[in-house]
Amino acid sequence: MPSAAPSTGGAVAELEESAAEPAADDGERTIIGFFCRECAYAAADATGNARVPLPATVRSVLVPCTGRVGPLHVMSALAEGADGVFLAGCLEGQCHHREGNLSAIERIAFVQRLLGSVGVEPERVQMFTMSAADSPRFVAATKAMHATISALPRLERR
Amino acid sequence: MPLTARGREILGSLPGVAPAVTTDGIGCEIVRREELCIGCGRCVKVCPSAAIAESSRFDPAQLYDAPAGTTRGALGAALRRIARHEPDGTFEVPERVRTFRTIEFDRTRCLGCGACTRACPTGAVTARPVNAGEIGGFAVSADLSWAVPA
Repeated sequence: MPSAAPSTGGAVAELEESAAEPAADDGERTIIGFFCRECAYAAADATGNARVPLPATVRSVLVPCTGRVGPLHVMSALAEGADGVFLAGCLEGQCHHREGNLSAIERIAFVQRLLGSVGVEPERVQMFTMSAADSPRFVAATKAMHATISALPRLERR
Repeated sequence: MPLTARGREILGSLPGVAPAVTTDGIGCEIVRREELCIGCGRCVKVCPSAAIAESSRFDPAQLYDAPAGTTRGALGAALRRIARHEPDGTFEVPERVRTFRTIEFDRTRCLGCGACTRACPTGAVTARPVNAGEIGGFAVSADLSWAVPA
């Protein structure tokens, strides 16, 4: 994860620190973040360069545009082990592929309704928008997602 | 949509179709397999009698019936793994998620022309010949398999 990649010594220290921490009663959460290459990934990169610590629960996936992420990507992530999924794309009206982020927003709304209809918390899936320069907003989105998912029980699978 | 006089004349000239009972809907019966439908809306576009419409309501239970190997089937499998209970009813689909809209078929407006069967990319819409007594009120005596589009 580029956003949480400080110097090697720092990473090792961080790993040891997290290993020393007692595990939460029902285990560590996993959050998948789909980041658009144009804005969110650049913001994530800036965050990493600034060495801002981020929750280690978030695993990033680089996508060309959030408009590429469909309901199946999100649902597969949840079914295969993620406790939460979030998309981070460009600001509304500033998508580098015209309207990909608007499609993503509506697809996320669709997945949220789908989850709601089978009794799974819709807030496990969220969409955030930010500009490429807005590293603080990326950090806020990541932490907000971490806080939301940590407050929920682990997602049970059959 | 009643037939024109010329239409009745043509139908009446066919073997096995009595002129007195010719009416609209003769041709073939449309059979829809909803589990194969991907909601592309092509049948809606080609239907000449507006018997097919797109609905913005979506029933998640449809995903469970979709065959494996399709996007809907994979979604259904994923949903089944994390579902806490059976899907409870339909919901409104956002504007841009068009492929998850439901196709509604109004059988009473169908002319049996078969345009939708040719338009369907997944084979969810097929046609079968109408035979005697198969559709209520239609006294069709002949095998009309010739009317089924290839």
